[in-house]
Amino acid sequence: METLIPDYRRDLEIRRYPLYIYVLVPLAAVVLQAWLPRLLGRFAYMDLPLLVTVYFALNRRSPIHGTLLGAVLGLAQDGLTQGAVGIHGIANTVCGFLAASVGIRIVVENNLIRMVMNFALTLLSSAIVVFVIRVLLGLAWHSNWLDELLRAAGNGLIGLVLFPALDRTQIRD
Amino acid sequence: MEFFLSRYRNLIVLSAALLLQVIGLAVQVRRPVAVAADVAGGPAVHVSKDGRGVLLIRLWAASLVTPFERAIHGSGEGLNGLWIDYVDLRHTKDQNKELQQTIDRLRLEQAELREDALQGQRLQAMLKFRESYIYQTEPAQVIGTSGSSQSRLIYLDRGAEDGLKPDMAVITGDGIVGKVRDVFPHTAQVLMINDQTSGAGVVLETTRIRGILRGNAAGQPQVINILADQRIQKGEHVLTAGGDQIFPRGLPVGVVDNVQRDPERGSFINVVIKPAADLQHLDEVLVITSLDAHLSAQQQADLATSEELKGAEAAADAERKKAALEMEERLPGLKDPNAPATAPALGPDGKPVVPVPVAPKPIPALHPDRFSPGGAAEPSPGSGTDGGSANDAPGSPVDAPPKPAAPKAAPAKPGTAPAKSNTAPAKPNTPAPKTPQLGRAQ
Repeated sequence: METLIPDYRRDLEIRRYPLYIYVLVPLAAVVLQAWLPRLLGRFAYMDLPLLVTVYFALNRRSPIHGTLLGAVLGLAQDGLTQGAVGIHGIANTVCGFLAASVGIRIVVENNLIRMVMNFALTLLSSAIVVFVIRVLLGLAWHSNWLDELLRAAGNGLIGLVLFPALDRTQIRD
Repeated sequence: MEFFLSRYRNLIVLSAALLLQVIGLAVQVRRPVAVAADVAGGPAVHVSKDGRGVLLIRLWAASLVTPFERAIHGSGEGLNGLWIDYVDLRHTKDQNKELQQTIDRLRLEQAELREDALQGQRLQAMLKFRESYIYQTEPAQVIGTSGSSQSRLIYLDRGAEDGLKPDMAVITGDGIVGKVRDVFPHTAQVLMINDQTSGAGVVLETTRIRGILRGNAAGQPQVINILADQRIQKGEHVLTAGGDQIFPRGLPVGVVDNVQRDPERGSFINVVIKPAADLQHLDEVLVITSLDAHLSAQQQADLATSEELKGAEAAADAERKKAALEMEERLPGLKDPNAPATAPALGPDGKPVVPVPVAPKPIPALHPDRFSPGGAAEPSPGSGTDGGSANDAPGSPVDAPPKPAAPKAAPAKPGTAPAKSNTAPAKPNTPAPKTPQLGRAQ
């Protein structure tokens, strides 16, 4: 009966990683997100900081952890742009919280589920960014939703490779 | 309370994180000049002319990311060379054979190309001279981007220590790229012209229509707020207008790609531009650090020599004019001192000939009476007037007005020349001798 209790299952399935993974992977995500568009040009349809946020939120199954990690990575992304700081921060915060909340309730080992989650959360992130810019900041800003769809698809595909690779770095009992 | 906190812990943390960021956004909207200088012990802040500073978090993010980008950029070429030279040696033998054949063919073409290459080098040298003459520029390499599709931003490997400042223009040999936004000690942000928040004054080359260049959602630069105009055609060149105090006038921006009607205002159009510079694959750029003319040492030396020569020539000219004026004051003559100077005519002996003053002939009256000159009141000989004297031209009509004989009767005034006097000038304030005497003096 104990296995049916959500808290017990969550504690059982929490994945833990070495400390350097928590530092290096987010840092690499931010650096690559800033550097890869130089090589790929306008075809850089990805959001690596968001992917990392979703991954750790799903596997840690801690909404607080996902919220804070999303906030930090989003603020780091904002720091590299010319816009107001907090636009991506808010978007990644919400996505991190939702990913962790979903991870508590469903098993996310399946690659298809991971891909769908990445796709949906990337679109949600884009929608939040547009909301913040146009509603909260009141700026006249136009969005290209085809690009956002392609970015969500790109995140879904990259997640198929990145998540299994990160799974290998977890600490096993 | 404890139960509430533990039960809703996650939501409380989420709400707190969101609230803090929203407050941060609100602060930036109200006061967009949150300057890192306000932070005790914070790093040096690079404040632009308008007082705009760099957000501390932006400084941290750039300081965190750009060293890695710089390292990746620097080691990329080395790793690439290592891979190509030592690891990836497949098909080398076949390639070697093909290359030998290619060399034979290229040797034949080399002779033809040599002449073209020499001409190209000359043209290139001229272009380089022209470019270096106009502006002072700082070359820089692109090391990264913002990584966000909402922000068309690139990072350069040059910063404040290299002389970069906010609002400097960034160009390539093909056209403009953007302007420097935030400057850090060793890196700088460049806001590209295809960003939605950018702005540059441009003019269409043929139609001379001016507008503001700004990026659209698709990442294309476009000229906005233009009244619908049929003259705008695809392929028309777009240049910088020079009124924004950032980009010098006349730099190429791109060509008109298409014209779109403004969805919000029907009478306006947006002219989408195909940028001259390849904004997607930028490697090296030039930052215009000064709009003043930039001269090399040799050019400056040439300019100084030219100025000296010009000054010496002007001094000699002034000296000549001064001597001429002094000479003119000493010369008596009949010329109007206010009349423009003309070159004096030379006589057969090579000396200047003083022209004979000729009195203007009065117009003959249609109905002459006794008051008309040369009419009914013709003076009789010996009446005391000088009319009909020996100076009259032979064969002149009877009713012709008498010619004045002033040189014969009146003494010459200073500054006037007696008739037929081409001799050395008399001293000033000396009564001029009569014409026969002058004739003898010759």
